[in-house]
Amino acid sequence: MTTETSVGTHEMGDPGGRLLLVARAVTKAFEGLVANRDIDFEIPRNSIVSIIGPNGAGKTTFFNQLSGVYHPTSGTIELEGTDISHMPPHEVARLGVARTYQNIRLFQNMTVLANVMVGRHVRMHGQWYGAIARTAGIRREEAAAERRGFELLELVGLARSTSGELARNLPYGDQRRLEVGRALASDPKLLLLDEPTAGMNPGETKRMTDFIARLQRDLQLTILLIEHDMKVVMGVSERITVLDYGEKIAEGTPAEIRANPRVIEAYLGKQASA
Amino acid sequence: MPTGSDLRRAISSGLITGGIMIYLVAVGIAPALAERQVITDYLTLGRLMLALPALAVGYLVAGRVGSAIARSASALAAGVVAGGLFSAALLASVALSPGIRSVLVRLSTGVLDFVGFADLGLEATGGALLMFGLAAGLALLGGLIRLAPGAVRRTIVGGAGAMLVVTLLEPFLRPRLLQWGFAEFDDWLYVAHGMTPISATSVFVVGAILTGVWPRARQAAKARVANADPGARSVMRWALLLVALAFLYTVPWLSGSFLTQVIVLVGFYVLLGLGLNIVVGYAGLLDLGYVAFYAVGAYFTALITSPTSALGWGLNFWVALPMVVALSAVVGLMIGAPVLRLRGDYLAIVTLGFGEIARVLLGSEALKPWLGGPTGILSVPFMIGDGKYSLPIIGEQSGAAATYFPLLGFCVLAAFVAHRLKYSRTGRAWNAMREDEDVAQATGISTVNYKLLAFAMGAAVGSVGGAAFATHLQGVVPGGFILLVSITVLAVVVLGGMGSIPGVIVGAFALIGTPELLREFAEYKLLVYGAVLVAVMILRPEGLVPDAARKAELEESRTDDGPLHGPEFDVISGDA
Amino acid sequence: MRRPSSIRPADVVLWALGVAIVVGVSVGAFATLSAGLLSGDQWRDLLIFGVSQGSVYALIALGYTLVYGVLFMINFAHGDVFMFGGMTAFFVADYFSDSGFLNGNPILAVPLLLLVGALSSMIVAIVLERIAYRPLRRAPRLVPLITAIGASLFISNSVRGLYGDSIKAYPRIDFFQGTWDIFGIPILKAHATVIVAAVALMAVLYWFVERTRTGRAMRAVSEDKDTAALMGIDVDRIIVTTFAIGGMLAGAAGVLYAIVYNQVIWSMGFLPGIKAFTAAVLGGIGNIFGAMLGGVVLGILESLAPFLLLSGLGVPSPNQLKDVIAFSVLVLVLIFRPYGLFGRKEGT
Repeated sequence: MTTETSVGTHEMGDPGGRLLLVARAVTKAFEGLVANRDIDFEIPRNSIVSIIGPNGAGKTTFFNQLSGVYHPTSGTIELEGTDISHMPPHEVARLGVARTYQNIRLFQNMTVLANVMVGRHVRMHGQWYGAIARTAGIRREEAAAERRGFELLELVGLARSTSGELARNLPYGDQRRLEVGRALASDPKLLLLDEPTAGMNPGETKRMTDFIARLQRDLQLTILLIEHDMKVVMGVSERITVLDYGEKIAEGTPAEIRANPRVIEAYLGKQASA
Repeated sequence: MPTGSDLRRAISSGLITGGIMIYLVAVGIAPALAERQVITDYLTLGRLMLALPALAVGYLVAGRVGSAIARSASALAAGVVAGGLFSAALLASVALSPGIRSVLVRLSTGVLDFVGFADLGLEATGGALLMFGLAAGLALLGGLIRLAPGAVRRTIVGGAGAMLVVTLLEPFLRPRLLQWGFAEFDDWLYVAHGMTPISATSVFVVGAILTGVWPRARQAAKARVANADPGARSVMRWALLLVALAFLYTVPWLSGSFLTQVIVLVGFYVLLGLGLNIVVGYAGLLDLGYVAFYAVGAYFTALITSPTSALGWGLNFWVALPMVVALSAVVGLMIGAPVLRLRGDYLAIVTLGFGEIARVLLGSEALKPWLGGPTGILSVPFMIGDGKYSLPIIGEQSGAAATYFPLLGFCVLAAFVAHRLKYSRTGRAWNAMREDEDVAQATGISTVNYKLLAFAMGAAVGSVGGAAFATHLQGVVPGGFILLVSITVLAVVVLGGMGSIPGVIVGAFALIGTPELLREFAEYKLLVYGAVLVAVMILRPEGLVPDAARKAELEESRTDDGPLHGPEFDVISGDA
Repeated sequence: MRRPSSIRPADVVLWALGVAIVVGVSVGAFATLSAGLLSGDQWRDLLIFGVSQGSVYALIALGYTLVYGVLFMINFAHGDVFMFGGMTAFFVADYFSDSGFLNGNPILAVPLLLLVGALSSMIVAIVLERIAYRPLRRAPRLVPLITAIGASLFISNSVRGLYGDSIKAYPRIDFFQGTWDIFGIPILKAHATVIVAAVALMAVLYWFVERTRTGRAMRAVSEDKDTAALMGIDVDRIIVTTFAIGGMLAGAAGVLYAIVYNQVIWSMGFLPGIKAFTAAVLGGIGNIFGAMLGGVVLGILESLAPFLLLSGLGVPSPNQLKDVIAFSVLVLVLIFRPYGLFGRKEGT
């Protein structure tokens, strides 16, 4: 299978092919409350897709199922052909899913660099016995991880001098950046960003949006976004999925979604942001 | 003049202080220390204990912003209230004596005499008045000290501290001085177990000077080190290490047998503390049943090495040790596996349950054929030969000193392992897990595995301690493995600083060493442990020698920004 | 390829353990019953003793569950609050006994003792909350727990220092000697009184929590502290009230315990405290009815199990292992059913 992208055609020979993630008929119920109902969802490789919807539509619940924090009550989720529906979060992370959080959840009392290096945990192999012996291999691995850590800090726009700061002493914008840096440290295939521009002013939002686009381009990442800021969503997404009351009510390109009457009703009917 | 609210604060502080002073007498702490001389014939430790709250309240109350006079007046007021309350209690006790003794058992006539300054020939009312005056005066003094500039304050505290140290060390400083030929110095310093007024003042002055000079000396040393080139710095570090090791090598020889016994006891708790530190400090798992691993190590060792045990293999200690450690790690995994998904409080209680089950089973009839019941297992051979061996320079070691060296080796090894783990991928994973378990999982850390790892490591270290303990006593009895051991180790780790390796050492010396030095105090050891735990958690939860990250973590809890605990912190952690 | 939900080794061990326990219990019970080790009367007496002991546990357990309901913390020092009530009441009982009041007018004297116990424990509980727990409301969870442990050590050892090491024998209360015939069953008066008093207190508590404004406020605070505060409820005061009520119940329990065992000692708070906590967990921590039921169930289990199970399995000196029963229940409940009988996952 080949696919046309702005970079040119290229072969997708590995399992799963064009689609990085496929969710089928995913339903999540919590003791009577159905948060997600029968959702089909696909994420093409190397694309940026968004999920939008009014508050309480079930977006974060769906997100949590993609990262393994929740498990679907029924339905399946496949990452590159591997069924991750019932995997614990750390294994999903190992397979290449990384995420950020709506209310920033950094390791507040660890340093900036430590946060990023924890992010790199899955790509490192040092065990406790190696740590005690501090073999050459371990030392090499730590040094390489540190180097990568600094690279990532630079990539997300944090000054090298902040590497020793405690995460909670950073200004808000930098904390968001650090969270992305931590997520990138695991060399993920799929990056889940939960409201990455929440609490940002227009200038910062624009910078974050450009950054997301750059990530996709330069790192060949696949990105899934939850967002409320329509400018961001419309500006950067290739495809948008709309949830309301736990169900998918629309899906398509930004232009299609903008014109979709059901979507407009879902939002205006609840006086949500536009 | 002090404001209304200042006065109210002074009065309430005074009442509390008076209450504390009454408590110290009624519980028996002050009377117990009444025989210990600080300055012979002038000041006993017991009187000092009673004086401290008065000094402290004056110091604290004088802290508010305000004129010097207002602040001193507040301090005085607090002292007056405290003294008044205390004196009233004294008079009441005397009046109700001897009947009151059937309730408050410590208030014998002897004690009441002590409190009422009967040794100065005063009757009850005179004594009460004197106490009142002293309390007021001391509070005022405390206030004045607070008003003094910081440097002055520090030197005064330093001088007082020096006096206290010299007092506490008297029982074994004296034999050492005599042994090394400093008989004249000893005569000058101590008379009849306490200092003389002259020697006390000198000690105070020396202490004050040292404290005054210390900050500058420290700065100078730091500067020297910073300015030295890396080669020289590394030489300095090695030199320091060698000096430390040389010192440690000669400790038993320097200390004499009693002090060595104390140090060995401290050493056991250092080892246990280092193990628990991995569980509590690194991984954040509160294990109240830690004594179980200690017991496992001790009993397995006894079973394997004692020729008279149920197994009767009679193996050499060093052959048995790896087996014991491995077995103990397995036990740790077995205990950990079912319980590690429980949230903090519940994990603590369940491990406490395990510890108690172990304790009962160890001494039970049911397991007597294997574990020896209440009498335990005897004839456990020593670690090295028959408990006596010779070392270069310092000669033959026996008894506690013979345990000291292997134990020191174990402690160094444990500290080394703990240090390496802390600054590794594993240590980072533990940190992350402690900070935010859900996010750590999402970052790819298998929290179950890392918790199990911490548990197993803690068990391994604890079992080494147990093994050494079994050989030290040359036997094991169930009575040594009670809940209080777990709590004491926890107190050591907490006081020193959770997650901090030097902190464990400091904590062990403070909590285990001090009651040994102050034998009169030993009866109140647990009371003090309890008070220390509460005080540390409220005032300085990061401990005495904090670990930087922990300090930050716990500091933020003292502001009002943190979340209130709510239902989402559930019985099972990380449950989705 | 679809991965099966991971079966971890831990699950296998647990499953095996569960099977072993069920088998062991069945075999032991069958062996005991078929061998007729105890007569029907003896079983009955053990049962009644278990109920009365369980009632004491239930009263203490209520304190744990109430505090957990509002603060989500385990008040490790609660057992010592229980001890303090019993200890203080001892001195009063001694005084009453000397003056002849105790045996002359037990109907008045005993409730007075209960009151003394309840009030003194209440004071300790309130002071405890104010000094040790309130400053730590927002601290990471380990911190208040460690503080509670320290407080427990402090309280019990202070009592030891103040009142001495020795066991304090409660004065003989003639009223409680002998048995009553209830429906033809002879029940020790002491046991019957404990059961009746405990039930009465629990009924009062139930009424209080369900029917009064303060009780409603307590329930609101335990549901959602922030919303309750927004509704105008003084959360601090409710928390203090909760501690006070828990303390009162524990203090009364202390007196009842002394009536059954005729003695108090400074260290008596630890074991009943842990067992009552087990009871609270068994019933579902945070659930008042669960605490009551859990207490009684645990009391019965503790009373019957040494004979029912262990003798049957041929374990020597089974009574020594009575405490192991309670601790094992604690461990097993927390491993297999952490929410207890009536608890439910919070927030869902």
